[in-house]
Amino acid sequence: MKGDAPVVLGEPKGYTAQKAGVKRGIAILDFILRLVGFIGTLSSAIMMATTNETLPFFTQFIRFRAEYNDLPTFTFFVVANAAVSAYFLLSLPLSIFNILRSSAKNSRIILIIFDTGMLALLTAGSSAGAAIVYLAHRGNTKANWLAICQQFNSFCERISGSLIGSYVGVTVFIVLILLSASALARR
Amino acid sequence: MSTTIDITEETSAVAKGKAPLIATTTYSDGSKGYKKGIAIFDFLLRLGAIVAALAAAGTMGSSEQTLPFFTQFFQFRASYDDLPTFQFFVIAMSIVGGYLVLSLPFSIVLIIRPSAVAPKMLLVALDIVALTLNAAAGGAAAAVVYLAHNGNSSANWLAICQQFGDFCQKVSGAVVASFISAVALVFLVVLSGFALRRH
Repeated sequence: MKGDAPVVLGEPKGYTAQKAGVKRGIAILDFILRLVGFIGTLSSAIMMATTNETLPFFTQFIRFRAEYNDLPTFTFFVVANAAVSAYFLLSLPLSIFNILRSSAKNSRIILIIFDTGMLALLTAGSSAGAAIVYLAHRGNTKANWLAICQQFNSFCERISGSLIGSYVGVTVFIVLILLSASALARR
Repeated sequence: MSTTIDITEETSAVAKGKAPLIATTTYSDGSKGYKKGIAIFDFLLRLGAIVAALAAAGTMGSSEQTLPFFTQFFQFRASYDDLPTFQFFVIAMSIVGGYLVLSLPFSIVLIIRPSAVAPKMLLVALDIVALTLNAAAGGAAAAVVYLAHNGNSSANWLAICQQFGDFCQKVSGAVVASFISAVALVFLVVLSGFALRRH
């Protein structure tokens, strides 16, 4: 026996079961949030990767086909979202293990470590995408960057919409790390 | 590791036969020393993150370059507030740096009293928010800096770094500093997790 826990001489009936119940509730919420995050980031990656718009006219000077990999930042966005959705899928078994065993400590710390790393990656990817979407909508007169949304309407709508799913993933990560930390803090 | 068991005096509720009799163990140095070490490391990491975050905000804020010649077509002064993304970067990194400075007293409290849970949970929650803000600012600025270095032929966006070399260097350096600060915040959150695990 490790000397970690307090020695409690006599407990009200159900008190230990109540503590385990709170931890189990936290673990179930954790599992549900991971599913939500998986769906959000996967849909965001797919939506960005299937953008393809060709305008029906042509001149000599300007290109009239827009795809996500014309802008390398969007390639990074798709890769980051795909990696995070794969991580969500792979972390579901650990989450189920936490539901079954409420007093698990090592699995929760592993989840905290990887969740924090993935939060940083996902936030960087989605903000980079948001910066480029902003430039595509507004352009920048000082740098002579034209707003390409004026011509490519459906491309623009799609890339703007795909940001939503990845920000859902960011919010999910914030809540998940807090849940894991509070589950660890309860003895 | 030795433990001593203190049986506390009976409360009136116990005397009436209602409440349980509870004893607590006090740990001798093993676990307290570990948590104190983590708290000291946490404090030092926070100092490093402050330097990185404020350096990023300052470098970006002071990036301004005026070219010594002129023609009719191009703008010849580049400053961070020409690009709204860089304005967001300066504001966000200043907020992160300011939060880290304000969190130093809580970190000191944790060094003095390593087994306090409330400051630790507060720091974890606010560190996560600061990490998100930091990574967002760094990612957005990195995307624009990449465009400034390489341009984009499909969108007809010119690479402005060709003309504004100094401006580009300063701005890229600021982005690197913000990534260092983000890594430090990741380690801070993970450290707090390890300290909570020994609770």
